[in-house]
Amino acid sequence: MQEGVFTFLVGGKAGEGVKKAGSVAAGIFAGMGRWAFEMDDYQSLIRGGHNFSIVSTAPRKITSHYMKADLVVALDRRSYDAHKDDLTDGGTIVYNSDTLSDVEGIGVPLTREAKKYPKPDLRMGVGAVTILAASLGLEKDDLKKIVEYEYPRDIENNINYAMAIYDIVYPEIKSKFKLDAGDKKRPIISGNQAIALGAEAGGLDLYFAYPMTPSSPLLHYLAKYSKELGVVTVHPENEIGVINMAIGSVFCGAKAMVGSSGGGFALMQEAFSLAGMVEAPLFCYLGSRLGPSTGVPTYTAQGDLKFALHQGQGEFPRIVASPGSIEEAFNLSSEMLDLVWRFQTPGILLSEKHLGESYMTVDIDVNKAKWLQPLMHEKGEYKRYLDTENGISPLLFPPSKKLIKWDSYEHDELGITTENPEMIAEMQGKRNRKTETIVDHMKTLHTVNIYGDKGPVIFTYGSTTMSVLEALQSGDIEAEVVQPIYLEPLPVWELEKYKGIEVIVIEQSCTGQFASLLFEKCGIKAKAVIKKFDGRAFEPVELAAKIEEVV
Amino acid sequence: MDDLATYAENTWCPGCGNFGILSAFKKAVKKLEDKGTQKEKIMISAGIGCHAKIFDYLKLSGLYSIHGRSMATVQGMKLANPDLKVVAFAGDGDAFWEGISHLIFAAKRNADITVIIHDNGVYGLTTGQYAPTSEKGFKGPSTPEGSVEEPLNPLSLMLESNATFIARGYPVKLDHLADLMAQAIEHEGFSFVDVLQPCVTFNNTYQKYNSLVEILDHLPESYDEAMSIAKRKDKLPLGIIYKSEKTPFHKLLYGDFNPVMNSMPREKRRENIARLLSL
Repeated sequence: MQEGVFTFLVGGKAGEGVKKAGSVAAGIFAGMGRWAFEMDDYQSLIRGGHNFSIVSTAPRKITSHYMKADLVVALDRRSYDAHKDDLTDGGTIVYNSDTLSDVEGIGVPLTREAKKYPKPDLRMGVGAVTILAASLGLEKDDLKKIVEYEYPRDIENNINYAMAIYDIVYPEIKSKFKLDAGDKKRPIISGNQAIALGAEAGGLDLYFAYPMTPSSPLLHYLAKYSKELGVVTVHPENEIGVINMAIGSVFCGAKAMVGSSGGGFALMQEAFSLAGMVEAPLFCYLGSRLGPSTGVPTYTAQGDLKFALHQGQGEFPRIVASPGSIEEAFNLSSEMLDLVWRFQTPGILLSEKHLGESYMTVDIDVNKAKWLQPLMHEKGEYKRYLDTENGISPLLFPPSKKLIKWDSYEHDELGITTENPEMIAEMQGKRNRKTETIVDHMKTLHTVNIYGDKGPVIFTYGSTTMSVLEALQSGDIEAEVVQPIYLEPLPVWELEKYKGIEVIVIEQSCTGQFASLLFEKCGIKAKAVIKKFDGRAFEPVELAAKIEEVV
Repeated sequence: MDDLATYAENTWCPGCGNFGILSAFKKAVKKLEDKGTQKEKIMISAGIGCHAKIFDYLKLSGLYSIHGRSMATVQGMKLANPDLKVVAFAGDGDAFWEGISHLIFAAKRNADITVIIHDNGVYGLTTGQYAPTSEKGFKGPSTPEGSVEEPLNPLSLMLESNATFIARGYPVKLDHLADLMAQAIEHEGFSFVDVLQPCVTFNNTYQKYNSLVEILDHLPESYDEAMSIAKRKDKLPLGIIYKSEKTPFHKLLYGDFNPVMNSMPREKRRENIARLLSL
C-alpha cells in the first residue's frame, strides 16, 4: 500500500445514501487540501441491492480508488460480507449492529438511533459520514458544519443523529486515522461535470440528450444549471430526435452537443453520417457502459472504441478523442467543440463510466479552454460547399439574403442535389480532404500524453490511464506510459517512434481493440495486452501485479 | 420571373400532385411576404422521397434532411433561433412511419413548426410500395396480394396528439391550399397541413378526390366537432379542421431568450464555471 494513502469505503442498500456519503467524504478530504478519488459502484436498481462508494485520498495527486480500505462502514449485512476482507493491515470495519452481531469490528446501532427520527433509512449516510469524521478526529463542531451543509433537508434531526452516533463511536475509534492536511483546496467534480463545464467554456448553446446511463448525469447537470450557464437543455422523444434536432441547431449557428451511451448512440448513427455529409459541426459525447446490447448499464468498459471510430455509413472525416483524466475531460471538451467547428464535421468525445461517474480533485485552469470563431463567409456570392484547397467552406447562418442549403444527398457547391459523376467525385474529395487539414492542425496540438521515460513502454487510453498511473505509483514501477488523447485521426506522427519496440497495452476490453488499432495504424506490436472486461475498473494493486508479471 | 425557383431540373412525373404543392407553397410565401415576413427568415427541410425534391426546387434556405427526420431538424432550428419560421415537408411514409415519433411529440410539445404532408398513400420514389395511408388491399411490390392493414387517419392522430393547428388541403384547390399553408406558417405553435396528393404513376386518386373533397364553410367550434370531421369517410372536408392558442414549446422552455442571438459571452462563462467549481 502506498504511504499516505487513506481509503474509506461505505456500503449499503440503494436508497440509504451511500453515494452521498462517499461524496461527502471526498469533500472532507478535498477540504483538507488533499487529493481524492471517488468511485461509486452501484447497480441498475433504485431500492435494495448492494451499493458502495470508495474514496481514496493522498497528499499527492491520486488517480484511482483502492479496493483495500482503512475504514469500512457497512450499513447492512451484505456490505459487511462483501467487504470484510477489503481491509488494509490495521484497517477497521464498522458495522450496523442492528443488522448483524457477533462479528469482528466495531458495532454501532445505526438503525436503532435512526428510528428515533422520521425516515430512518435516509439517516444511514449521515451515520457513515459521522463514523468517518470521528475516525479522522474531527471535532463535533466541524461535523455539525458538514452535516448542515451537506444534508440541508431536515437539518435538526440530521445533526442530532450525527451527534448521537459520534458519542457512541468516538470512544471506540477516536482519531485513529489522523490525516495530514494537503497543499491546497481543490474542487472535486465528476467526469460528466467536467465535460459539461468544458463544453460550456467552449461556447455550448444547446444540449440534447435522451437518458442513458452512464451519460445521463451530464444531462441532469446541464438541465439543473441551464439558466445559469445559458445552455438550453432538451430531452426529446428519442436519440434520433436528439441528434437531428442538434443538427438543425448547428445549421442556425448554435453550438450544440448530444450525449448518450452505446445503444442510444447506435440509434444516432444514421444522423451522425448526415452530419458528415452536410458538414455539420456536431459535438457528441459517448459515455460507455459494458456492452453489447443493454449489457451492464452501471459498469465500465472500453468496448466502444471501434464503434466510435466507425460511426456512420459512407466516408467522411470525424474526430474522436478520449480523456485520460477528469481535468483532461474539461480541456478536451472545449477543444473538441473548437475542432468540430473548425473543420465542420462530427466529433466524438469517447469516455467510460469510470471517468464519467467518478469524482476527482482537479486543478482546472478555465483560461486554457478553447474558444473558436468559425470560418465565416465574408462577401460576394455564397456557396455552402465552396470547393476550397483545404476542404473547408465558409459558413453563413440564417437569416441571410443569400441562399444557405445543407443537403443530405450528394450535392453541388450551392447545396443542390446532384448525380453528376464529376461533381460527386469533387465533393467526396473536398470532404475527405479535410482529414489532411485536420491532421495538419493536430500536429500543432498536444495529442499524446507521455508519463515517465524509463522502463517498459505501456500504451493505454481513456479512463484506464488513471488506473495505470496509480498502479505504477502503488507498485513503485518505472515505466513510460503513452496515452494517445486523440484516436481519430490517431497521431501516428507522435507514435511512429514506438514502432519496433515491444509494448504492453492495457485496456478495458475483451478483444483488445486498442492494441489492434495501434497495430493497424502504427504497426506497433504488443508483447502483452492486459485486459479487463468484468465491468469494474482496474484496481491499482492488482494491476501493478499484472504489470510486474509481463514486464 | 420566379424568384423562388432554383436551377434544379424538375423530375416529378407530369401531372404529379407535387407540382400543385410547390405552386401553392410559393403563393403562400408571397402572401407572407406581402404581409411583411422576410422570406430569408423562412427555413425549409424535407425528408426523403418524391416529396422531398421540393427542397431543391425552392430557392429558400434550409437543410435537406433524411427519411422521417425533417420534423426533428426544424425543431432544432427553431430552438436555436426562434426568430425563424420553419417548415418541414414530409411524405406520408416519412411522417407516419419512419418519423412518427417526431411528429407526435412535436405536436404534443406544441413546437412552433409547420409540417406539410405530401400524403399520396404510396411510396413513389421506391416504386410503389404501400404506405401508412394506403387503403386496405393496396397492391404494391411488397404487398402483391394487397395490404392487409387499415389506413391511418392523419387528422384524428394529430387531434389526439394535441396539435394546435390541423388542416387538410388539395392541390387542385390551389389558392385554398396556399391560404392554408400561409395560415399554418403564421400560426404560433405546431401546425399541420395534410395535403391529399395524387400520384399519377402509382396511386392516381384525382377522380376519387375530385368527387369527395368539400371545402369546409366554417372553422369547427370544438375538439369533438373537429374529430367528427376528421373521421368522415363519405366526404373529405378541406380547410382548417382545428385551431387553438397555446404557448409554444420554446417559449415555455426559455421565454424570450434566443440561444443564437443571446449566446453567453466567454467571460461570463468563465465566471459561471469558476462559481460552480467553488461549490
